Amino acid sequence: MPLELRLAWRNVWRNSRRTGLTVAATVFAVFLVVFFVAMAAGIHEKMIEDSVRVNSGHVTVTGEGYLENRTLEQHLVLGPELRDRLASLPGVRGHAPRVTAFGLLSKDSATQGAIVLGVDPEREGTVSTLPERLRRGRFVSDDTARGLVLGERLAENLGARVGDTLLLYSVAYSLEMAYELFEVVGVMRLPAPELDRALAVVTLADAQEFFAFGERVTEVALLAESGDRVEAVQTAARAALAGGGNGSGPVEVHAWNELMPELEQLILLDDAGMYLMLAILVVVVGFGILNTILMSVLERTRELGVLLALGLRPGAVFRLVYAESMLLAGLGLVVGMALAIPAVLWFQANPVHLGGEMAGALELFGMEPVMTWKLKPMNPIGSVMTILAVAALAAAYPAWKASRGRPVDALRSA
Amino acid sequence: MAILEAKGVTRVYETRGVETRALRGVDLAVEAGEFTALAGPSGSGKTTLLNVFGALDEPTEGSVFLDGEDLSSLSPAELAARRLHKLGFIFQAYNLIPVLSARENVEFVMELQGVAPAERRERALAVLAEVGLGELAEKRPTEMSGGQQQRVAVARAIVSRPKVVLADEPTANLDSKTASQLLDLMEQLNRDHGITFLFSTHDPLVIDKARRRVRLHDGRVVSDERA
Ligand SMILES: Nc1ncnc2c1ncn2[C@@H]1O[C@H](COP(=O)(O)OP(=O)(O)O)[C@@H](O)[C@H]1O
Ligand SMILES: [Mg+2]
Repeated sequence: MPLELRLAWRNVWRNSRRTGLTVAATVFAVFLVVFFVAMAAGIHEKMIEDSVRVNSGHVTVTGEGYLENRTLEQHLVLGPELRDRLASLPGVRGHAPRVTAFGLLSKDSATQGAIVLGVDPEREGTVSTLPERLRRGRFVSDDTARGLVLGERLAENLGARVGDTLLLYSVAYSLEMAYELFEVVGVMRLPAPELDRALAVVTLADAQEFFAFGERVTEVALLAESGDRVEAVQTAARAALAGGGNGSGPVEVHAWNELMPELEQLILLDDAGMYLMLAILVVVVGFGILNTILMSVLERTRELGVLLALGLRPGAVFRLVYAESMLLAGLGLVVGMALAIPAVLWFQANPVHLGGEMAGALELFGMEPVMTWKLKPMNPIGSVMTILAVAALAAAYPAWKASRGRPVDALRSA
Repeated sequence: MAILEAKGVTRVYETRGVETRALRGVDLAVEAGEFTALAGPSGSGKTTLLNVFGALDEPTEGSVFLDGEDLSSLSPAELAARRLHKLGFIFQAYNLIPVLSARENVEFVMELQGVAPAERRERALAVLAEVGLGELAEKRPTEMSGGQQQRVAVARAIVSRPKVVLADEPTANLDSKTASQLLDLMEQLNRDHGITFLFSTHDPLVIDKARRRVRLHDGRVVSDERA
């Protein structure tokens, strides 16, 4: 072991109480950084997942112009070949074709605007949680034509119950008036109120017939295996669909953040606030290290003077003091990680279920009241690099000060 | 040829506009094998002269030669190298690195010189035995008495076979019996191995042990006698 490092290691343990306190502060900071970054990652991934699983999927294949307009004009034809290509994409958990359009539902004198969503009853469950959200009745099925599942609040507003018949009317793809009677077969409870008030699910076949839409669909929703793979799935889908030849018109592939920019912004804002808080914490720890090292350098003026007088190069004195800071930070990192990583992994395996007001607030955003953690590799790696960088910065001044002292002055300061 | 030589050395300190003339034209040559005391009352310039000789401080005027080389022509890094290879230092107190054992303290200079670990260890233990501390080799400075610590400092100063050992009041913090024993040790090393010593003191008992006595007063050499 080089001389400087050996001396540094022993020097670190000279004032074990001061070292202990500095290391404890670093451990505390490391723990909080890893814990909160993992918590945010978990919550955000859950937010995205909850959101995409009642909406558009992680990745959505649509007709051209879907971002600007979402009408029946923006469509694609999902032939067997296109379906096979999407099904065989790597990293895809599920895919489901849909027809989304606007309509009016009436029962007696009550009329409500509704988002009419045509789904493939076989496939829908592979992407969305809609079939699981059923409160009463059953989900739509290809066995019974013109069945309808309503959001709970929409059903309430219409005064509709399972078994009731409703009139759905809208404008078809052909621009003719479309109207048809549908039977309420089920009522589902959706976490997001704006969906719960508007969503009416029918079968894809019924929707295509009702809107005179032929074999067309407005979108194919894809669910990625995990939030980390969204980009990969999007890229793969684009590659698979490029160059046409799929029997459909031009298609577009959008990720959730293009379709729900407000959700992405909410996450970015939340991250910014958290990182600001963590940055302050890390800076405070940096000053703690600076203070500890500076004090130890000032206390050892004479000793460092003796080292210089004996012939230790100023550069070696700089490295000695630098090594002391990095050892302090390194100790804090090792202990901090040893505590934080198992803790986070435990929470990752055991999500916390919330109750009361918190739960209500989260439901407003369409989230389940569950706190989850997710330890991404970048979290500990980034934390280690940040703390080491801060320690390196904090060490620079004391190390420079120690190395540039003249030995005579130091020797006189007995 | 003299090992150390000061020619017309003047050292003026300036603190907040106040000038202190610590050395006023010192001419002094130290020859190989000498055992010299630098005597004089407090403030007479002993430490300043030793610092200038030790390449730790520069004269305001005049020049210093170490082994025939003019120190004023050297860079700080070169000066550090001369201190490491040609000089041994013993300070008044707090000489030792507290986190190192006696043996490690003695090895320290050799380690900087790049001596191989096995040889370092062997030589350190031999020198510690010679200064009578063979038993205490693995003790830290805080576990030793003041006299023992100064003996370790002597061992460290001589282990790398320097041209000259500079000692600034090495006995100032010791009682008279321990001081006398330390001087006897230094004298013995001087006689047995021909190591050159230049040490400052204002203690008459210590001055008596020297074979050459240089007296400083107000920054000037006022007498230079050989016993
Ligand atoms: N760094 C300094 N700044 C200003 N004056 C100093 C400094 N060092 C020493 N002196 C002054 O120089 C003179 C000689 O000091 P010094 O060499 O320490 O004498 P001695 O070692 O014989 O006691 C004294 O008057 C002292 O006050
Ligand atoms: Mg002095």
